Amino acid sequence: MEQLLSGYVIYSLAFLLIFISLATLLHLQFSLAGIVNFGVVGFWGLGMYSFSLLLVKGKVPFVLAVILACMITGIVSWILGRIILNLDDQAVLVGTLAFATIIEYLSTSEKWLTNGVMGLGTVNFPFNFGKKSLLVYSLILLVFTVLLMLYTYKLKKSPYGRLLLSISDNEKLSQSLGKSTFRQKNIFFTFTCALIGFFGAMAAPLYSFIFPRMIGSGVTFTIWIALMLGGRKKLFGGLIGVIATIGLFDYVIETVIPIPTQYAEIVPNIKFCVYGLMLILVLMFRPFGILGDKKMEIVK
Amino acid sequence: MTFSLFTSTALVLGLLEAAPLVLAAIGFTLIFRLNGFTNVAYAENITLGAYFAVIFNSMFGWNFYAAIIPSALLSGLFSVLTYLVIFRPAFKRGVGKTELIILSVGLSFFVRYGSRLIFGNDLFNFTFDNPSYLSAFGIGITSIQLTCIALVVVISLGIYFFIYRTNYGERMRALADNENLAMISGINPTKVSILIWFIAGAAGGLAGVFYGAFSFVSPSLGYNLILIIIMVTIVGGVGSVRGSLAASVGVGIITSAVTLLSKPLYGQVVLLILFIGILKLRKVRI
Repeated sequence: MEQLLSGYVIYSLAFLLIFISLATLLHLQFSLAGIVNFGVVGFWGLGMYSFSLLLVKGKVPFVLAVILACMITGIVSWILGRIILNLDDQAVLVGTLAFATIIEYLSTSEKWLTNGVMGLGTVNFPFNFGKKSLLVYSLILLVFTVLLMLYTYKLKKSPYGRLLLSISDNEKLSQSLGKSTFRQKNIFFTFTCALIGFFGAMAAPLYSFIFPRMIGSGVTFTIWIALMLGGRKKLFGGLIGVIATIGLFDYVIETVIPIPTQYAEIVPNIKFCVYGLMLILVLMFRPFGILGDKKMEIVK
Repeated sequence: MTFSLFTSTALVLGLLEAAPLVLAAIGFTLIFRLNGFTNVAYAENITLGAYFAVIFNSMFGWNFYAAIIPSALLSGLFSVLTYLVIFRPAFKRGVGKTELIILSVGLSFFVRYGSRLIFGNDLFNFTFDNPSYLSAFGIGITSIQLTCIALVVVISLGIYFFIYRTNYGERMRALADNENLAMISGINPTKVSILIWFIAGAAGGLAGVFYGAFSFVSPSLGYNLILIIIMVTIVGGVGSVRGSLAASVGVGIITSAVTLLSKPLYGQVVLLILFIGILKLRKVRI
């Protein structure tokens, strides 16, 4: 039991919690506010890197470093939001994708700051309970994930949630009702991106060493496929989707099924290939995912 | 480095950089103009073009220039296949513009990692018969590079002529502007669409071949280019073939100038920051 609680299972569950939170935040951005964020990993990576830099190089206390990382991510996303959020969906998509690429490039090229591909570390847990540290940390993550789910649930029922929904449904109409839609969207974008940065910071101690290749476009894509598969309009869509993709592939298949070592390097290729296929099939045949309705609204 | 040497180096390297970009941007623009969505899976068209050429050049031992032709045709066919199997059914089902992009991202991952399963994660190089080294404006350049640039000029002029001067080009533009009106005038939308997707795919495949000839062929060749391609088409004015021609040359020269002044990745970073700014300035629908 002792061994189980300190080992791989808890570690995997902690990562699942991080990704479930990211998918839920994407659900908020995409389904509630209609923001097509294809740069999730950029905000996540910014939070992770700025937190780790503050902690490792700046010797800032853990909690303060997390708060500062959230603020940095928030400020950057506010500026980005000011630039692109009043453009159309395709511009937002390409703009956020470009942002994530910039973060990835900078994490590689700024060796004086991030150690480049050598990796930045070591990021330790904020406490030391010996073998139980990981378990305690995962429980803290669980609390944050549950809080985020509760917030999502409440928000969708609140007047503010309805305001955001009205903006994503028909922005011109809510403008004519006197709502400053661009401002509201940007505030919500900043807030949710800061939270993405928060979960980036919280993921850093799990990795303990931070490398640029962790913040590649595959992460964004995985979160998107998870949300689309689970059901983008549903509260638990992200949760179901993450379990059905990352949970199934990274943990069940890679740990339960014995894969010969000579095939180990093709497993990620198979994984992303199947993810891509899954995304195509979901969009063609079940546009609202596992939890969603079968039929698509006919928009002509 | 003196100023004049710097400018000429930036110019030559920029043109080398821009040559494949021009073709890719034209192909991407054609699909965008016709169907009005950002086709991220176009990246894989570029990659596959390069891989097709690798198959003919390295595995069958064909001459590099002979390998260009079948790889252009095959990547054109691949493009038509994606249109018929994925995108046309999606248009018919009424999938929204944003979902179409997500769909194309899914297709892009499927093809990219699928081809990794077939070709592995290795890098490939083309084999050339005795390339000679020439000098242009005091900068070394191989005969292969020079021939590739010449080919790019010829092909892009050909496509340009096709779009703006021929009957089929006119039909395509009519279809892009107003599908219903075009159909009333007796234009067969499926036929014209297949033709356009074929040309776009072939142009993308050729871009991949030339890009591979200038450096090497890797599984992420197309994906690394796609953001720049989208950017070029936006800078050049959305859906305008003329504009993307000019913009690709400009972008190529800017990138190589920034790269000469600093580290290679900075060229990309500066370009992407400029790009986000341009999105705002032009306020265009991509």
